[in-house]
Amino acid sequence: MTLLDEIETAIPALRRYAHALVRDSDRAEDLVQDCLERAVARRQFWRGEGDVRSWLFRILLNRFRDGLRSARGRAQLVPFEAVPDPGQPAPQDAQMALREVHAAMARLPDDQRAALLLVAVEGMTLTEAARILAVPEGTVASRIARARAALRGMTGRPEHRSPRTEGSQT
Amino acid sequence: MTTSDRSDEGILRLRHGDEADRARLVTMTAEDPALRESLAEWDRQDAALRALYEPVARERVPERHREVIARAERRGERTSTIWARIAAVVALLAIGATGGAVGSRLTGGADPDQALASAAFRAYATYTVERRHPVEVAASEEPHLTNWLSNRLGERIVLPDLSRHGFSLMGGRVLPDASGPAVLLMYSDADQRRLVLYVAPGPGREESAFQFAQRDAVRGYWWYDDNLGCAVIGDLTRDRLHDISRDAYAQITGT
Repeated sequence: MTLLDEIETAIPALRRYAHALVRDSDRAEDLVQDCLERAVARRQFWRGEGDVRSWLFRILLNRFRDGLRSARGRAQLVPFEAVPDPGQPAPQDAQMALREVHAAMARLPDDQRAALLLVAVEGMTLTEAARILAVPEGTVASRIARARAALRGMTGRPEHRSPRTEGSQT
Repeated sequence: MTTSDRSDEGILRLRHGDEADRARLVTMTAEDPALRESLAEWDRQDAALRALYEPVARERVPERHREVIARAERRGERTSTIWARIAAVVALLAIGATGGAVGSRLTGGADPDQALASAAFRAYATYTVERRHPVEVAASEEPHLTNWLSNRLGERIVLPDLSRHGFSLMGGRVLPDASGPAVLLMYSDADQRRLVLYVAPGPGREESAFQFAQRDAVRGYWWYDDNLGCAVIGDLTRDRLHDISRDAYAQITGT
């Protein structure tokens, strides 16, 4: 498999991650496109050390952070995209739970969301995630711990149920 | 980590650790119902997250993403033939020529990119021989040095740390380049051997591969990226110079 093949193979995972990270789907696709263009332009610097997927995620996250930097000051960032479809018929419990999680994810700080998604959705180890995020493992562990605690609080698990989510419980 | 670390972070390190870590966690849950409940909660979170975002990965990849790869494949074929041709020329020249002549002959000719390499070689020749004023502003004057050079260049730049290659930053200066104010950083090693990094504006330039050039015993690598043209020039072996250039590149671009 050539490096280009490997990059192509990683596109579905990059899209999954970008959409979870950014939520606005146009921006997520732009982020993936940007990441792919960078990766392809720089593929001659790839020496076969480590994992192509990690390298791609690192590029994607760098572009994400660059985007945030340049967006700051220019325009107010929309905190998160509206949770989908309030007008739909009453969803079933399972769907309701997913919408809660989706909304809760949107409220997490970017660095916590970025770290949690790497391990929870992309199935990476903490070591891999730390390398991709370029921070120590302990930092990743604490971001994920805080993200998980916040999610638990926001999605109304019994021991942390908040008034906001009362109505969603049957 | 010890098995007694039952903080969320400690448990997370095991849960998202290697196989041995996860096996240890299984043993720990056997006698700890509260831990089992935390883990079950995290499993539910992960399942919900996967259910939310997995469908995106199953969608058809948008055409424009696939086009990036397809374009590179077409271009890649061209590049490799060019490199094959260059390799053939190098082989021919090497028969009769000294090593020093080869690189400069290759980068000569009508290549417009030669301008960057030429300017960098000129700057190297002019300033590395300076004993009293090798740099305009010394590295000790940070952050002024970075701010000044970034302002003149019009781009925020990172001054690469090349200490793991044995080179420390002496400082820098601003130079006139055909494309606008350029920056010259000078480094030296324990033997007072000097190395320069030349950074010039390259607005609208396509990102390029590393290119090698040589003038007598002096060698260089140059490339374009992020609207900047960069060249690392030094009296070093090609391998060492390549490593240093890669490192400089990675630090400048932040990848």
